Amino acid sequence: MIKIENLEKVYKTEEIETTALNGINLHVKEGEFVSIMGPSGCGKSTLLNVMGLLDKPESGSYKFIDTELLTLNDRERSNFRKRNMGFVFQNFNLIDELTVFENIELPLIYNKVPAGERKKLVNEIIGRMNIVNRSGHFPQQLSGGQQQRVAVARALVTKPKLVLADEPTGNLDSTHGNEVMELLCELNETGTTIVMVTHSSHDASFSNRIINLKDGHVISEKINKGKTEELI
Amino acid sequence: MFKLNLKIALRNLWRNIGITSINVGGLAVALAAFMLLMMYFTYETSFDKKNPNFDNIYIVGRTFPDFKTNYTPPPFGKAIKENFSEVVAVGKMKKGGFELAVSSHTSTVFTKQQLFVEYEAAKMFNIIPEGGLKKPNGNEFLYYLSKPYMQTLFPNKKDTKPEMVSIGSRSAEQFGEVRGSIVPDSHSNISFDAVSIVNEIGTGESYGHPNYFTYIQVKPGTDIASLELKINNLYHSELTKNGMVDEGEDVTETNAFLDPLKNQHLKPKAGSDANYKVLIALSVLGFLILVIACINFTNLSIAQAAKRAKEVGVKKVMGAYRFQLTIQFLIEILMQCLVATVLGLIIAEIVLPKFNSLFLVHLSIWNKENGLIWQLPVILLFITLIAGIYPAMVLSGFKPAAVLKGNFQTSRQSYWLRNSLLVVQFSIAVIFITGLLIINSQLKYMRTQDVGFNPEQVVYVKNLVYYTKPEVFAPVREKIMKIPGVKAVTVANAIPDGSGMGGNGYTVEGKQHSLSFLDVDYDYFETLNIKLKEGRAFSTSFQADAVNSAILNEAAVAKYGIQNPIGKTIRGCNIDYTIVGVINDLKAEGFEKAVEPTIYAINNPCGNPKTEIMVKVDEQRMAEVLAILKSQWSDINKRDGDNFRYHFLDELYGKLFAKQEQLQSVFFAAALLTIFIAILGLFAFAKYITNGRIKEIAVRKILGANDLQIFKLINTSFFVMVMIANLISWPLAYILTKKWLETFAYRIEIPILPFVLSALITIMLTIITVTIQANRAVRANPVDALKYE
Repeated sequence: MIKIENLEKVYKTEEIETTALNGINLHVKEGEFVSIMGPSGCGKSTLLNVMGLLDKPESGSYKFIDTELLTLNDRERSNFRKRNMGFVFQNFNLIDELTVFENIELPLIYNKVPAGERKKLVNEIIGRMNIVNRSGHFPQQLSGGQQQRVAVARALVTKPKLVLADEPTGNLDSTHGNEVMELLCELNETGTTIVMVTHSSHDASFSNRIINLKDGHVISEKINKGKTEELI
Repeated sequence: MFKLNLKIALRNLWRNIGITSINVGGLAVALAAFMLLMMYFTYETSFDKKNPNFDNIYIVGRTFPDFKTNYTPPPFGKAIKENFSEVVAVGKMKKGGFELAVSSHTSTVFTKQQLFVEYEAAKMFNIIPEGGLKKPNGNEFLYYLSKPYMQTLFPNKKDTKPEMVSIGSRSAEQFGEVRGSIVPDSHSNISFDAVSIVNEIGTGESYGHPNYFTYIQVKPGTDIASLELKINNLYHSELTKNGMVDEGEDVTETNAFLDPLKNQHLKPKAGSDANYKVLIALSVLGFLILVIACINFTNLSIAQAAKRAKEVGVKKVMGAYRFQLTIQFLIEILMQCLVATVLGLIIAEIVLPKFNSLFLVHLSIWNKENGLIWQLPVILLFITLIAGIYPAMVLSGFKPAAVLKGNFQTSRQSYWLRNSLLVVQFSIAVIFITGLLIINSQLKYMRTQDVGFNPEQVVYVKNLVYYTKPEVFAPVREKIMKIPGVKAVTVANAIPDGSGMGGNGYTVEGKQHSLSFLDVDYDYFETLNIKLKEGRAFSTSFQADAVNSAILNEAAVAKYGIQNPIGKTIRGCNIDYTIVGVINDLKAEGFEKAVEPTIYAINNPCGNPKTEIMVKVDEQRMAEVLAILKSQWSDINKRDGDNFRYHFLDELYGKLFAKQEQLQSVFFAAALLTIFIAILGLFAFAKYITNGRIKEIAVRKILGANDLQIFKLINTSFFVMVMIANLISWPLAYILTKKWLETFAYRIEIPILPFVLSALITIMLTIITVTIQANRAVRANPVDALKYE
């Protein structure tokens, strides 16, 4: 589904240039659950941002089911993103002024889904995420785990082909962290492709494949056998 | 989506209610000031605009080598009408000089602005009595009174029949017919409270009687420059034809000009354009206040931007376009501006009575003619764009990948922009504070300086009878002096209230100069407590005093350079006066004009009639004396004694200070407003800066900095900016106040204290504001600040 070739990304400040991605090649199949790991500053978040069309690389190619995404303009990138991708962040990034229901509804609004349909979809996902009795609450009234569930619900409500998760358990204790990981697995089992950046080997163990980055290079790739067999 | 955006906006504003209130409140106050000034501008620039002939009416004026006047001789208008076909109408007017009593059987009113208007002029200016404008027959005078006067005189009148009234003192038995009432247009250059409409005024008067205003109405599209030239040529030929040019005199020394009606209120050629300049200055001030408030709004919005960054990031991730977000923020700001506009209207309505009394106008927000109906939406859009476009662009421009990780910074460029803006704001505030303090000093000087006479406890009694000869006034004085508590009584041709005096040529020792003259009676100097420098005052003991004695003021003595003036002769009006005394100069015309060299005499055949009675009263017995004067007035002043009307001289003299007091009020309001806006701007900026330095503060605290050191750290840059603002403004304020002070003949030296004080005030306010903002950052637990990393 995803074909990334020779991706390069350089950050420039007045004095120094930092190469964040240095000729990355990466293929992700449909329905796969891929973890990207590596030390701080290895470029894993940059890679995820590029995959989510939030950042532009200097060169390379990024094909998503045969569509080259790097040549799109801002508007086309926005359109592509809202139709095909969902995001889960380490710090949840829920809008504080909106309730749980409204936060989840937001991407549907940008996808111009009619109001009746929106209500149905949001209620459905709220039920699935087990946060029905929280739908009128504001984010500050929820625990970290609950907030991340809302964030996951928001990422899934548009039924995206690809979910990008950036350290989704980074701000959670282990119990809540596991809940979120199980949620992602369930999602993956229903066919959604997931790419996750993480520091935690424990979290990575939930995925089919683990890619290790260092200094902007892919240094190793490991198939998580137990999971892959399950997949097969 | 609009509903959701609205929810986000409202919840956001509510959560930051403090900042929102300051932001919207600051804008509302500035808007109120702007709206008031705009209404004032519209009002002042639209005198007579309702007149359908507004663009085609001109007044004919005359230019002399050293002045211009709108007074014209009556035959000139007629000549213009006869000679030029492009002039479709000519109408003359004349002002009545006296305050006249008009009485019915039951009551009396006093007309202060009697106007004589030709029928043609009445048509031109829409001077239409109730019941319609009628053409007088032959020499008929159609006399109308303003509606309130008519209602006072004939409260039960229902019909439209004429009524008989007595005009002047009842004892004079002059009667006239009032045709009805008229409602004068208060928004016209032609103002009156009684009007006589006639077919022609000044009939039989020649080119030597220039006492009339001549208005002409031209055909639309007339070439005014060429008409003016033709009228001027006609004027010259008429002067020559009527023998008005002496031998050797150049007829082209006086010229005729045309001045459009639209210039008459603010910048007449024959008159001062000071009001126009003041109006422009006020408009610029209003506009500046609004723009500064808008930019402040921008600053505060951007200072709040951090709180919205995540929202922008999330929305962009979900596919929102930048354009959508820009519009969203603009609409949010439009809503705030709308609230500010409504609040501004409320504030303006509250302040309006004070504004009206300060500027002597009757503005109303609800008057459709003030133009607010169409101006308000324009202003609203204007301020939304000015205040909103920059924050909307900054906010919608956030990069989602960065802000969702908590990194956002606005550019260095905007930092400079805001620094400069702050300096500009404070500079303006410093100019106004310094200006206000210097105006205060000058006014204090004017109130405490010896003006050379004492107007206190002097009652000025209104009167129409000529008391030019001392023997005619003697019985009146005698009767008034009998009232216990009266210290002195006199009559003169003018009172010292700045109303000016007549002038004439006088010769001393072969040197001729023009002097102002004041015709007085005995006890004039005693009544006004004017100090003699040399010689004596007029006295009944010296018979010559009523014939040819004169008293000069110091300025007159200086003008002639007379040594030992007492006993010397001064010749004027064919009389050889003997100088019997010299008085100290008195500032009868206030502090703006230098004291005129003046001659005081009892006998002056070239002078003006003495009608102004002044009575000096014992401080303790004022009420008593007034009561007795009132009850006995008809007996004391038999020929004009129906109504005892008086003013306190000190109040009349005090009116000379009114203009400066108005300026003082405007400066007070402007100083408050500009400092308020500057402090708001500072508040936002300090918040922004401290927010940006929270981490730095935390690190410094962990490394052992104490609170004071941190306050100092944050305050220093603001202190420097305010000092720069002071340094920029001081020379400007010095130049401006010096210019203002130069309009006074008697003035203070520019003191240093106002400059020091405005620096102290601005620095104090800055430190307080910044410290309040910094306090939050200093009090915060450094661990929390660093945890964000």
